Amino acid sequence: MTVRQSGLEHKPLGLEHGQGVLIDSVAEEAVRPSPVVLIVDDDPVARLAMAGRVKRLGYRVLEAGDGKSGLELLRLERPDLTILDWMMPDLDGPSFCEQVRRDPEIGSSQILMMTSNDHPEHIAEGLARGADDFLSKAASRQEIIARIQAGIRTASLIRRLEQITDQLRRKQMLLDQELRAAARYVESLLPVPGMVVPGVELAHLYRPSLALGGDLYNVVLCGDGSICMYLLDASGHGVASALRSASLASFLREDSLLRYVGSHDPGAILTEANRLFPMTEAGEYFTIIMTRLDVRSQKLFYAAAGHSGVCVSRRNGTVEWLVQPSLPLGFDAACVYQTAEILLRPGERLYLFSDGLYEVPNSHSTEELWGKERLAAALCRAADQPLNGTLSTVVAEASQWSGQDGFPDDVAVMGIELKECPVIERVSFSETDEVPDEP
Amino acid sequence: MSMRVQERAIPNGVILELAGDLTYANREQFKAAVEAVHQRGIRRLLLDMANVRFIDSSGLGLLALVAQRFKLTQGQVGLLNPQAYVREIMALANIPSLIPIYKSEQEALAVSGKAA
Repeated sequence: MTVRQSGLEHKPLGLEHGQGVLIDSVAEEAVRPSPVVLIVDDDPVARLAMAGRVKRLGYRVLEAGDGKSGLELLRLERPDLTILDWMMPDLDGPSFCEQVRRDPEIGSSQILMMTSNDHPEHIAEGLARGADDFLSKAASRQEIIARIQAGIRTASLIRRLEQITDQLRRKQMLLDQELRAAARYVESLLPVPGMVVPGVELAHLYRPSLALGGDLYNVVLCGDGSICMYLLDASGHGVASALRSASLASFLREDSLLRYVGSHDPGAILTEANRLFPMTEAGEYFTIIMTRLDVRSQKLFYAAAGHSGVCVSRRNGTVEWLVQPSLPLGFDAACVYQTAEILLRPGERLYLFSDGLYEVPNSHSTEELWGKERLAAALCRAADQPLNGTLSTVVAEASQWSGQDGFPDDVAVMGIELKECPVIERVSFSETDEVPDEP
Repeated sequence: MSMRVQERAIPNGVILELAGDLTYANREQFKAAVEAVHQRGIRRLLLDMANVRFIDSSGLGLLALVAQRFKLTQGQVGLLNPQAYVREIMALANIPSLIPIYKSEQEALAVSGKAA
Protein backbone atom coordinates (compact mmCIF):
# COMPACT_ATOMS: atom_id res chain seq x y z
CA MET A 1 0.00 0.00 0.00
CA THR A 2 1.33 3.42 -0.95
CA VAL A 3 1.50 6.41 1.33
CA ARG A 4 -0.99 8.30 -0.81
CA GLN A 5 -3.54 5.55 -0.50
CA SER A 6 -3.21 5.37 3.24
CA GLY A 7 -3.64 9.13 3.44
CA LEU A 8 -6.91 8.84 1.59
CA GLU A 9 -8.27 6.66 4.35
CA HIS A 10 -8.19 9.71 6.61
CA LYS A 11 -10.41 11.76 4.40
CA PRO A 12 -13.13 13.10 6.67
CA LEU A 13 -16.80 12.52 6.01
CA GLY A 14 -18.51 15.14 3.93
CA LEU A 15 -15.35 16.49 2.30
CA GLU A 16 -15.61 15.92 -1.40
CA HIS A 17 -15.40 17.70 -4.70
CA GLY A 18 -11.67 17.97 -5.05
CA GLN A 19 -10.89 19.30 -1.60
CA GLY A 20 -7.82 17.08 -1.51
CA VAL A 21 -6.46 14.71 1.09
CA LEU A 22 -6.84 15.85 4.66
CA ILE A 23 -5.21 14.11 7.55
CA ASP A 24 -6.36 15.94 10.63
CA SER A 25 -9.06 18.15 11.99
CA VAL A 26 -6.90 21.29 11.76
CA ALA A 27 -6.52 20.83 8.02
CA GLU A 28 -10.21 20.04 7.86
CA GLU A 29 -11.04 23.36 9.50
CA ALA A 30 -8.73 25.27 7.21
CA VAL A 31 -10.11 24.07 3.89
CA ARG A 32 -13.65 23.13 4.83
CA PRO A 33 -15.85 23.69 1.75
CA SER A 34 -18.74 26.07 1.72
CA PRO A 35 -21.71 24.93 3.81
CA VAL A 36 -24.30 22.68 2.19
CA VAL A 37 -28.02 23.47 2.40
CA LEU A 38 -30.68 20.89 1.55
CA ILE A 39 -34.02 22.28 0.38
CA VAL A 40 -36.98 19.91 0.66
CA ASP A 41 -40.15 21.28 -0.96
CA ASP A 42 -42.71 19.65 -3.25
CA ASP A 43 -43.42 22.98 -4.96
CA PRO A 44 -40.76 23.30 -7.72
CA VAL A 45 -41.18 27.07 -8.07
CA ALA A 46 -40.77 27.80 -4.35
CA ARG A 47 -37.83 25.36 -4.24
CA LEU A 48 -36.08 27.04 -7.16
CA ALA A 49 -36.59 30.50 -5.70
CA MET A 50 -35.14 29.41 -2.32
CA ALA A 51 -32.24 27.61 -4.07
CA GLY A 52 -31.36 30.83 -5.89
CA ARG A 53 -31.29 32.82 -2.64
CA VAL A 54 -29.19 30.27 -0.86
CA LYS A 55 -26.70 29.98 -3.72
CA ARG A 56 -26.28 33.76 -3.74
CA LEU A 57 -25.18 33.48 -0.08
CA GLY A 58 -22.31 31.29 -1.29
CA TYR A 59 -23.69 27.96 -0.06
CA ARG A 60 -23.89 24.73 -2.01
CA VAL A 61 -27.48 23.60 -2.58
CA LEU A 62 -29.10 20.16 -2.70
CA GLU A 63 -32.74 19.78 -3.65
CA ALA A 64 -35.42 17.18 -2.98
CA GLY A 65 -39.02 17.25 -4.21
CA ASP A 66 -40.56 15.16 -1.42
CA GLY A 67 -39.93 14.17 2.18
CA LYS A 68 -38.76 10.64 1.49
CA SER A 69 -36.05 11.53 -1.02
CA GLY A 70 -35.13 14.50 1.19
CA LEU A 71 -34.48 12.10 4.06
CA GLU A 72 -32.32 9.91 1.81
CA LEU A 73 -30.26 12.93 0.72
CA LEU A 74 -29.90 14.06 4.34
CA ARG A 75 -28.48 10.66 5.32
CA LEU A 76 -26.18 10.56 2.31
CA GLU A 77 -24.85 14.10 2.21
CA ARG A 78 -25.19 15.32 5.83
CA PRO A 79 -25.98 18.95 4.88
CA ASP A 80 -25.25 21.72 7.36
CA LEU A 81 -28.83 22.99 7.20
CA THR A 82 -32.11 21.61 5.89
CA ILE A 83 -34.85 24.01 4.81
CA LEU A 84 -38.05 22.02 4.98
CA ASP A 85 -41.58 22.72 3.77
CA TRP A 86 -44.31 21.87 6.28
CA MET A 87 -47.00 20.81 3.82
CA MET A 88 -45.92 17.91 1.61
CA PRO A 89 -47.72 14.75 0.44
CA ASP A 90 -46.76 11.41 2.08
CA LEU A 91 -44.08 12.58 4.50
CA ASP A 92 -44.84 16.10 5.74
CA GLY A 93 -42.38 18.45 7.47
CA PRO A 94 -43.12 17.55 11.13
CA SER A 95 -43.02 13.78 10.39
CA PHE A 96 -39.72 14.32 8.54
CA CYS A 97 -38.35 16.06 11.67
CA GLU A 98 -39.51 13.22 13.92
CA GLN A 99 -37.71 10.63 11.77
CA VAL A 100 -34.51 12.70 11.83
CA ARG A 101 -34.56 13.09 15.63
CA ARG A 102 -35.11 9.37 16.13
CA ASP A 103 -32.00 8.48 14.11
CA PRO A 104 -28.80 8.94 16.19
CA GLU A 105 -26.71 9.19 13.02
CA ILE A 106 -28.46 12.35 11.81
CA GLY A 107 -30.31 13.40 14.96
CA SER A 108 -28.34 16.61 15.44
CA SER A 109 -29.16 17.98 11.95
CA GLN A 110 -30.31 21.60 11.86
CA ILE A 111 -33.81 22.00 10.39
CA LEU A 112 -35.47 25.26 9.43
CA MET A 113 -39.16 24.68 8.75
CA MET A 114 -41.12 26.85 6.31
CA THR A 115 -44.81 27.41 6.68
CA SER A 116 -47.48 29.79 5.46
CA ASN A 117 -49.35 29.34 8.75
CA ASP A 118 -47.47 31.21 11.45
CA HIS A 119 -49.93 30.87 14.32
CA PRO A 120 -48.16 30.40 17.64
CA GLU A 121 -49.79 26.94 18.27
CA HIS A 122 -48.71 25.83 14.83
CA ILE A 123 -45.12 26.93 15.43
CA ALA A 124 -45.10 25.31 18.89
CA GLU A 125 -46.24 22.02 17.35
CA GLY A 126 -43.44 22.16 14.74
CA LEU A 127 -40.80 22.88 17.39
CA ALA A 128 -42.14 20.12 19.63
CA ARG A 129 -41.91 17.62 16.77
CA GLY A 130 -38.27 18.44 16.04
CA ALA A 131 -37.80 21.63 14.01
CA ASP A 132 -35.02 23.96 15.19
CA ASP A 133 -36.43 27.19 13.78
CA PHE A 134 -39.26 28.58 11.69
CA LEU A 135 -39.49 30.68 8.58
CA SER A 136 -42.73 32.18 7.39
CA LYS A 137 -43.23 31.96 3.66
CA ALA A 138 -44.13 35.64 3.86
CA ALA A 139 -40.83 36.57 5.53
CA SER A 140 -38.73 39.36 4.12
CA ARG A 141 -35.55 38.64 2.17
CA GLN A 142 -33.46 39.94 5.08
CA GLU A 143 -35.18 37.66 7.58
CA ILE A 144 -34.76 34.63 5.34
CA ILE A 145 -31.04 35.35 4.98
CA ALA A 146 -30.60 35.97 8.73
CA ARG A 147 -32.37 32.73 9.69
CA ILE A 148 -30.38 30.66 7.20
CA GLN A 149 -27.12 32.14 8.50
CA ALA A 150 -28.17 31.53 12.11
CA GLY A 151 -28.93 27.89 11.23
CA ILE A 152 -25.55 27.45 9.56
CA ARG A 153 -23.83 29.01 12.60
CA THR A 154 -25.58 26.60 14.97
CA ALA A 155 -24.78 23.66 12.68
CA SER A 156 -21.08 24.56 12.69
CA LEU A 157 -21.06 24.82 16.51
CA ILE A 158 -22.78 21.45 16.84
CA ARG A 159 -20.35 19.87 14.38
CA ARG A 160 -17.38 21.27 16.33
CA LEU A 161 -18.89 19.95 19.57
CA GLU A 162 -19.36 16.52 18.01
CA GLN A 163 -15.74 16.50 16.81
CA ILE A 164 -14.45 17.46 20.25
CA THR A 165 -16.66 14.86 21.95
CA ASP A 166 -15.35 12.28 19.53
CA GLN A 167 -11.74 13.25 20.24
CA LEU A 168 -12.37 13.11 23.99
CA ARG A 169 -13.99 9.70 23.66
CA ARG A 170 -11.00 8.40 21.70
CA LYS A 171 -8.54 9.80 24.25
CA GLN A 172 -10.57 8.36 27.13
CA MET A 173 -10.51 4.97 25.40
CA LEU A 174 -6.72 5.13 25.10
CA LEU A 175 -6.38 6.13 28.76
CA ASP A 176 -8.66 3.28 29.82
CA GLN A 177 -6.61 0.84 27.77
CA GLU A 178 -3.40 2.07 29.40
CA LEU A 179 -4.93 1.84 32.87
CA ARG A 180 -6.06 -1.71 32.18
CA ALA A 181 -2.55 -2.61 30.97
CA ALA A 182 -1.05 -1.10 34.12
CA ALA A 183 -3.60 -2.97 36.27
CA ARG A 184 -2.65 -6.23 34.56
CA TYR A 185 1.00 -5.49 35.40
CA VAL A 186 0.17 -4.82 39.05
CA GLU A 187 -1.83 -8.05 39.18
CA SER A 188 1.13 -9.90 37.69
CA LEU A 189 3.13 -8.83 40.75
CA LEU A 190 0.69 -10.61 43.09
CA PRO A 191 1.64 -14.04 44.45
CA VAL A 192 0.40 -17.30 42.99
CA PRO A 193 -2.12 -18.94 45.34
CA GLY A 194 -1.64 -22.49 46.57
CA MET A 195 1.21 -24.12 48.48
CA VAL A 196 3.88 -21.40 48.55
CA VAL A 197 6.22 -23.71 50.42
CA PRO A 198 5.41 -27.21 51.61
CA GLY A 199 2.99 -26.97 54.54
CA VAL A 200 1.95 -23.37 53.91
CA GLU A 201 -1.13 -22.61 51.83
CA LEU A 202 -1.73 -19.11 50.48
CA ALA A 203 -4.90 -17.44 49.19
CA HIS A 204 -5.70 -13.84 48.39
CA LEU A 205 -8.33 -11.50 46.98
CA TYR A 206 -7.86 -8.11 45.37
CA ARG A 207 -10.60 -5.57 44.60
CA PRO A 208 -9.11 -2.20 43.58
CA SER A 209 -11.62 0.67 43.82
CA LEU A 210 -10.38 2.13 40.53
CA ALA A 211 -8.74 0.30 37.64
CA LEU A 212 -5.45 0.73 39.49
CA GLY A 213 -5.13 0.28 43.22
CA GLY A 214 -2.65 1.57 45.78
CA ASP A 215 -2.76 -1.64 47.82
CA LEU A 216 -0.22 -4.34 47.16
CA TYR A 217 0.76 -7.52 48.93
CA ASN A 218 3.15 -10.35 48.31
CA VAL A 219 5.09 -13.29 49.62
CA VAL A 220 8.88 -13.30 49.73
CA LEU A 221 10.57 -16.69 49.88
CA CYS A 222 13.63 -16.17 52.01
CA GLY A 223 16.71 -18.25 51.40
CA ASP A 224 16.69 -19.34 55.04
CA GLY A 225 13.50 -21.38 54.65
CA SER A 226 11.22 -18.77 56.15
CA ILE A 227 8.66 -16.76 54.20
CA CYS A 228 7.84 -13.08 54.51
CA MET A 229 4.34 -11.81 53.78
CA TYR A 230 3.45 -8.18 53.57
CA LEU A 231 0.52 -5.97 52.72
CA LEU A 232 1.10 -2.30 51.98
CA ASP A 233 -1.26 0.57 51.31
CA ALA A 234 -0.19 3.78 49.60
CA SER A 235 -2.31 6.73 50.72
CA GLY A 236 -4.35 8.35 47.96
CA HIS A 237 -5.78 6.58 44.93
CA GLY A 238 -5.14 5.94 41.29
CA VAL A 239 -2.04 5.93 39.13
CA ALA A 240 0.26 7.88 41.46
CA SER A 241 -0.52 5.57 44.41
CA ALA A 242 -0.08 2.46 42.27
CA LEU A 243 3.33 3.65 41.03
CA ARG A 244 4.47 4.38 44.57
CA SER A 245 3.24 0.97 45.73
CA ALA A 246 5.08 -0.78 42.92
CA SER A 247 8.31 1.00 43.85
CA LEU A 248 8.01 -0.04 47.51
CA ALA A 249 7.18 -3.59 46.38
CA SER A 250 10.42 -3.63 44.36
CA PHE A 251 12.34 -2.68 47.49
CA LEU A 252 10.70 -5.61 49.31
CA ARG A 253 12.05 -8.24 46.89
CA GLU A 254 14.38 -10.87 48.31
CA ASP A 255 17.53 -9.64 46.51
CA SER A 256 16.88 -6.03 47.46
CA LEU A 257 16.19 -6.90 51.11
CA LEU A 258 19.51 -8.71 51.31
CA ARG A 259 21.34 -5.75 49.80
CA TYR A 260 19.68 -2.90 51.72
CA VAL A 261 18.60 -4.49 54.99
CA GLY A 262 20.81 -7.54 55.30
CA SER A 263 18.15 -9.53 57.16
CA HIS A 264 14.53 -10.67 56.98
CA ASP A 265 13.65 -9.21 60.34
CA PRO A 266 10.31 -7.37 59.84
CA GLY A 267 11.26 -4.48 62.15
CA ALA A 268 14.61 -3.98 60.41
CA ILE A 269 12.92 -4.05 56.99
CA LEU A 270 10.37 -1.39 58.00
CA THR A 271 13.01 0.78 59.67
CA GLU A 272 15.01 0.81 56.43
CA ALA A 273 11.89 1.32 54.28
CA ASN A 274 10.96 4.28 56.50
CA ARG A 275 14.36 5.82 55.77
CA LEU A 276 14.14 5.19 52.01
CA PHE A 277 10.50 6.22 51.48
CA PRO A 278 9.91 9.60 53.15
CA MET A 279 6.55 11.28 52.96
CA THR A 280 5.99 13.08 49.65
CA GLU A 281 5.57 16.84 49.50
CA ALA A 282 1.85 16.27 49.04
CA GLY A 283 1.70 14.35 52.32
CA GLU A 284 1.42 10.89 50.71
CA TYR A 285 2.86 7.93 52.58
CA PHE A 286 2.61 4.17 53.11
CA THR A 287 1.19 1.96 55.79
CA ILE A 288 2.43 -1.59 55.85
CA ILE A 289 2.33 -4.80 57.82
CA MET A 290 5.35 -7.09 57.42
CA THR A 291 5.40 -10.64 58.76
CA ARG A 292 7.87 -13.52 58.63
CA LEU A 293 6.93 -17.11 59.30
CA ASP A 294 9.62 -19.59 60.24
CA VAL A 295 7.89 -22.78 59.16
CA ARG A 296 10.10 -25.10 61.18
CA SER A 297 9.85 -23.34 64.50
CA GLN A 298 6.25 -22.16 63.77
CA LYS A 299 7.27 -18.73 64.99
CA LEU A 300 5.61 -15.74 63.38
CA PHE A 301 7.55 -12.47 63.53
CA TYR A 302 5.83 -9.22 62.64
CA ALA A 303 6.14 -5.45 62.59
CA ALA A 304 3.71 -2.79 61.44
CA ALA A 305 3.90 0.79 60.26
CA GLY A 306 0.54 2.48 60.76
CA HIS A 307 -1.34 -0.61 59.59
CA SER A 308 -3.39 -2.71 61.94
CA GLY A 309 -5.15 -5.13 59.61
CA VAL A 310 -3.45 -8.31 60.72
CA CYS A 311 -4.87 -11.15 62.79
CA VAL A 312 -4.47 -14.84 63.54
CA SER A 313 -7.35 -17.28 63.75
CA ARG A 314 -6.65 -19.96 66.36
CA ARG A 315 -7.67 -23.59 66.38
CA ASN A 316 -10.09 -22.91 69.24
CA GLY A 317 -12.03 -20.56 66.95
CA THR A 318 -10.82 -17.26 68.41
CA VAL A 319 -9.36 -14.40 66.44
CA GLU A 320 -6.38 -12.41 67.77
CA TRP A 321 -5.54 -8.98 66.39
CA LEU A 322 -1.80 -8.56 66.46
CA VAL A 323 -0.44 -5.07 66.28
CA GLN A 324 -0.19 -2.02 68.49
CA PRO A 325 -0.45 1.55 67.15
CA SER A 326 2.60 2.46 65.09
CA LEU A 327 3.68 5.32 62.86
CA PRO A 328 3.13 4.95 59.11
CA LEU A 329 6.27 4.99 56.95
CA GLY A 330 7.62 8.47 56.34
CA PHE A 331 6.04 10.14 59.39
CA ASP A 332 9.25 10.24 61.42
CA ALA A 333 12.62 9.57 59.80
CA ALA A 334 14.15 8.50 63.13
CA CYS A 335 11.51 5.87 63.88
CA VAL A 336 12.79 2.38 64.74
CA TYR A 337 10.18 -0.33 64.15
CA GLN A 338 10.13 -3.22 66.60
CA THR A 339 9.58 -6.88 65.77
CA ALA A 340 7.17 -8.91 67.89
CA GLU A 341 6.63 -12.67 67.74
CA ILE A 342 3.94 -15.26 68.39
CA LEU A 343 3.48 -18.92 67.57
CA LEU A 344 1.40 -20.08 64.63
CA ARG A 345 0.35 -23.70 65.13
CA PRO A 346 -0.69 -26.14 62.42
CA GLY A 347 -4.31 -25.57 61.43
CA GLU A 348 -4.05 -21.88 62.31
CA ARG A 349 -4.23 -19.02 59.87
CA LEU A 350 -2.68 -15.59 59.47
CA TYR A 351 -4.73 -12.90 57.70
CA LEU A 352 -3.54 -9.56 56.33
CA PHE A 353 -6.24 -7.05 55.35
CA SER A 354 -6.23 -3.61 53.81
CA ASP A 355 -8.28 -1.15 55.85
CA GLY A 356 -10.60 -0.75 52.84
CA LEU A 357 -12.22 -4.02 53.96
CA TYR A 358 -13.15 -3.19 57.54
CA GLU A 359 -13.49 0.59 57.18
CA VAL A 360 -16.25 0.16 54.62
CA PRO A 361 -19.25 2.37 55.51
CA ASN A 362 -22.82 1.14 55.51
CA SER A 363 -24.40 3.16 52.72
CA HIS A 364 -27.99 2.25 53.65
CA SER A 365 -28.36 4.20 56.82
CA THR A 366 -25.81 5.39 59.28
CA GLU A 367 -22.50 5.33 57.42
CA GLU A 368 -21.40 3.13 60.32
CA LEU A 369 -18.18 1.28 59.48
CA TRP A 370 -18.14 -2.50 59.21
CA GLY A 371 -15.27 -2.61 61.69
CA LYS A 372 -12.81 -5.17 62.94
CA GLU A 373 -15.28 -6.81 65.34
CA ARG A 374 -17.68 -7.73 62.57
CA LEU A 375 -14.73 -8.83 60.44
CA ALA A 376 -13.47 -11.09 63.25
CA ALA A 377 -16.96 -12.54 63.73
CA ALA A 378 -17.23 -13.22 59.98
CA LEU A 379 -13.82 -14.93 60.07
CA CYS A 380 -14.97 -17.17 62.93
CA ARG A 381 -18.19 -18.13 61.13
CA ALA A 382 -16.27 -18.99 57.96
CA ALA A 383 -13.33 -20.66 59.70
CA ASP A 384 -14.32 -24.18 58.57
CA GLN A 385 -14.21 -23.30 54.89
CA PRO A 386 -11.08 -23.77 52.81
CA LEU A 387 -8.84 -20.70 53.00
CA ASN A 388 -9.94 -19.10 49.72
CA GLY A 389 -13.58 -19.74 50.62
CA THR A 390 -13.13 -17.94 53.94
CA LEU A 391 -11.65 -14.93 52.17
CA SER A 392 -14.46 -14.78 49.59
CA THR A 393 -17.11 -15.10 52.30
CA VAL A 394 -15.60 -12.31 54.39
CA VAL A 395 -15.26 -9.96 51.42
CA ALA A 396 -18.82 -10.76 50.35
CA GLU A 397 -20.10 -9.91 53.85
CA ALA A 398 -18.24 -6.58 53.80
CA SER A 399 -19.64 -5.87 50.35
CA GLN A 400 -23.14 -6.65 51.58
CA TRP A 401 -22.62 -4.21 54.46
CA SER A 402 -21.53 -1.50 52.04
CA GLY A 403 -24.68 -2.12 49.98
CA GLN A 404 -22.91 -1.19 46.78
CA ASP A 405 -21.37 -3.15 43.92
CA GLY A 406 -17.82 -1.97 44.48
CA PHE A 407 -15.90 -0.86 47.55
CA PRO A 408 -15.14 2.86 48.01
CA ASP A 409 -11.50 2.06 48.81
CA ASP A 410 -9.09 -0.63 47.60
CA VAL A 411 -9.73 -3.99 49.22
CA ALA A 412 -6.94 -6.54 49.51
CA VAL A 413 -6.89 -9.67 51.64
CA MET A 414 -4.19 -12.29 51.95
CA GLY A 415 -4.26 -15.36 54.16
CA ILE A 416 -1.95 -18.27 54.89
CA GLU A 417 -2.66 -21.49 56.69
CA LEU A 418 -0.07 -23.67 58.33
CA LYS A 419 -1.30 -27.13 57.33
CA GLU A 420 -2.10 -29.77 59.94
CA CYS A 421 0.49 -32.22 58.67
CA PRO A 422 3.15 -30.06 57.16
CA VAL A 423 5.73 -31.98 55.21
CA ILE A 424 8.32 -29.56 56.48
CA GLU A 425 10.93 -32.26 56.81
CA ARG A 426 11.07 -32.23 53.06
CA VAL A 427 11.68 -28.47 52.82
CA SER A 428 15.19 -27.79 51.71
CA PHE A 429 16.93 -25.58 54.22
CA SER A 430 20.21 -26.37 52.61
CA GLU A 431 22.25 -23.36 53.69
CA THR A 432 20.74 -22.77 57.09
CA ASP A 433 20.06 -26.19 58.52
CA GLU A 434 22.56 -25.56 61.25
CA VAL A 435 21.37 -22.06 62.05
CA PRO A 436 19.19 -21.69 65.15
CA ASP A 437 15.61 -20.57 64.65
CA GLU A 438 16.03 -17.07 66.00
CA PRO A 439 17.20 -14.38 63.62
CA MET B 1 -18.35 17.43 53.52
CA SER B 2 -16.22 20.51 52.99
CA MET B 3 -14.02 22.14 55.56
CA ARG B 4 -14.07 25.61 57.07
CA VAL B 5 -10.90 27.04 58.60
CA GLN B 6 -10.91 30.05 60.91
CA GLU B 7 -7.81 31.65 62.29
CA ARG B 8 -7.49 33.13 65.77
CA ALA B 9 -4.42 34.68 67.42
CA ILE B 10 -2.98 33.36 70.69
CA PRO B 11 0.16 34.55 72.52
CA ASN B 12 3.11 33.86 70.18
CA GLY B 13 1.02 31.85 67.79
CA VAL B 14 -2.17 30.98 66.01
CA ILE B 15 -5.13 28.66 66.46
CA LEU B 16 -6.73 27.26 63.32
CA GLU B 17 -10.28 26.21 64.09
CA LEU B 18 -11.17 23.42 61.71
CA ALA B 19 -14.77 22.47 60.98
CA GLY B 20 -15.70 19.63 58.63
CA ASP B 21 -13.81 16.58 57.43
CA LEU B 22 -10.01 16.44 57.34
CA THR B 23 -9.84 14.31 54.19
CA TYR B 24 -8.27 13.96 50.75
CA ALA B 25 -11.04 16.11 49.25
CA ASN B 26 -10.22 19.04 51.58
CA ARG B 27 -6.44 18.71 51.55
CA GLU B 28 -5.68 21.80 49.47
CA GLN B 29 -7.76 24.03 51.71
CA PHE B 30 -6.09 22.69 54.84
CA LYS B 31 -2.59 22.92 53.36
CA ALA B 32 -3.17 26.48 52.18
CA ALA B 33 -4.35 27.58 55.63
CA VAL B 34 -1.37 25.99 57.40
CA GLU B 35 1.08 27.22 54.78
CA ALA B 36 -0.19 30.77 55.19
CA VAL B 37 0.53 30.57 58.93
CA HIS B 38 3.96 29.04 58.37
CA GLN B 39 4.92 31.62 55.75
CA ARG B 40 4.34 34.41 58.27
CA GLY B 41 7.05 32.92 60.45
CA ILE B 42 4.59 31.84 63.16
CA ARG B 43 6.13 29.05 65.20
CA ARG B 44 3.32 27.98 67.47
CA LEU B 45 0.29 26.41 65.81
CA LEU B 46 -2.69 24.81 67.50
CA LEU B 47 -5.20 22.92 65.38
CA ASP B 48 -8.62 22.98 67.03
CA MET B 49 -10.14 19.64 66.07
CA ALA B 50 -13.36 19.92 68.12
CA ASN B 51 -15.51 20.28 65.00
CA VAL B 52 -13.68 17.76 62.83
CA ARG B 53 -16.05 14.85 62.39
CA PHE B 54 -13.94 12.56 60.23
CA ILE B 55 -10.31 12.07 59.25
CA ASP B 56 -9.02 9.72 56.53
CA SER B 57 -5.54 8.45 55.68
CA SER B 58 -4.78 11.59 53.69
CA GLY B 59 -5.78 13.69 56.69
CA LEU B 60 -3.36 11.75 58.89
CA GLY B 61 -0.64 12.39 56.30
CA LEU B 62 -1.43 16.11 56.34
CA LEU B 63 -1.08 16.23 60.14
CA ALA B 64 2.29 14.45 59.90
CA LEU B 65 3.35 16.85 57.17
CA VAL B 66 2.47 19.85 59.33
CA ALA B 67 4.42 18.35 62.23
CA GLN B 68 7.46 17.81 59.99
CA ARG B 69 7.19 21.31 58.50
CA PHE B 70 7.08 23.07 61.87
CA LYS B 71 9.78 20.84 63.37
CA LEU B 72 12.20 21.96 60.64
CA THR B 73 11.84 25.57 61.79
CA GLN B 74 11.86 24.71 65.52
CA GLY B 75 8.13 25.39 65.64
CA GLN B 76 5.47 23.64 67.73
CA VAL B 77 2.21 22.08 66.65
CA GLY B 78 -0.54 20.81 68.92
CA LEU B 79 -4.00 19.33 68.51
CA LEU B 80 -6.96 20.53 70.57
CA ASN B 81 -9.95 18.46 71.59
CA PRO B 82 -10.30 15.83 68.86
CA GLN B 83 -13.64 13.97 68.85
CA ALA B 84 -13.58 10.35 70.04
CA TYR B 85 -13.65 8.77 66.57
CA VAL B 86 -10.94 11.07 65.19
CA ARG B 87 -8.85 10.48 68.32
CA GLU B 88 -9.17 6.73 67.77
CA ILE B 89 -8.05 6.94 64.13
CA MET B 90 -5.12 9.17 65.10
CA ALA B 91 -4.13 6.73 67.83
CA LEU B 92 -3.98 3.86 65.30
CA ALA B 93 -1.40 5.81 63.31
CA ASN B 94 0.38 6.82 66.52
CA ILE B 95 -0.11 10.51 65.75
CA PRO B 96 0.07 11.42 69.48
CA SER B 97 3.73 10.41 69.43
CA LEU B 98 4.33 13.11 66.79
CA ILE B 99 1.89 15.82 67.84
CA PRO B 100 0.76 16.43 71.43
CA ILE B 101 -3.00 16.42 72.02
CA TYR B 102 -4.50 18.87 74.54
CA LYS B 103 -7.89 18.93 76.22
CA SER B 104 -8.09 22.71 76.37
CA GLU B 105 -6.49 25.83 75.01
CA GLN B 106 -5.28 26.73 78.51
CA GLU B 107 -3.52 23.41 78.89
CA ALA B 108 -1.95 23.75 75.44
CA LEU B 109 -0.74 27.27 76.15
CA ALA B 110 0.66 26.31 79.54
CA VAL B 111 2.55 23.29 78.19
CA SER B 112 3.79 24.79 74.95
CA GLY B 113 4.62 28.00 76.79
CA LYS B 114 6.91 26.05 79.09
CA ALA B 115 8.50 24.21 76.18
CA ALA B 116 9.11 27.46 74.35
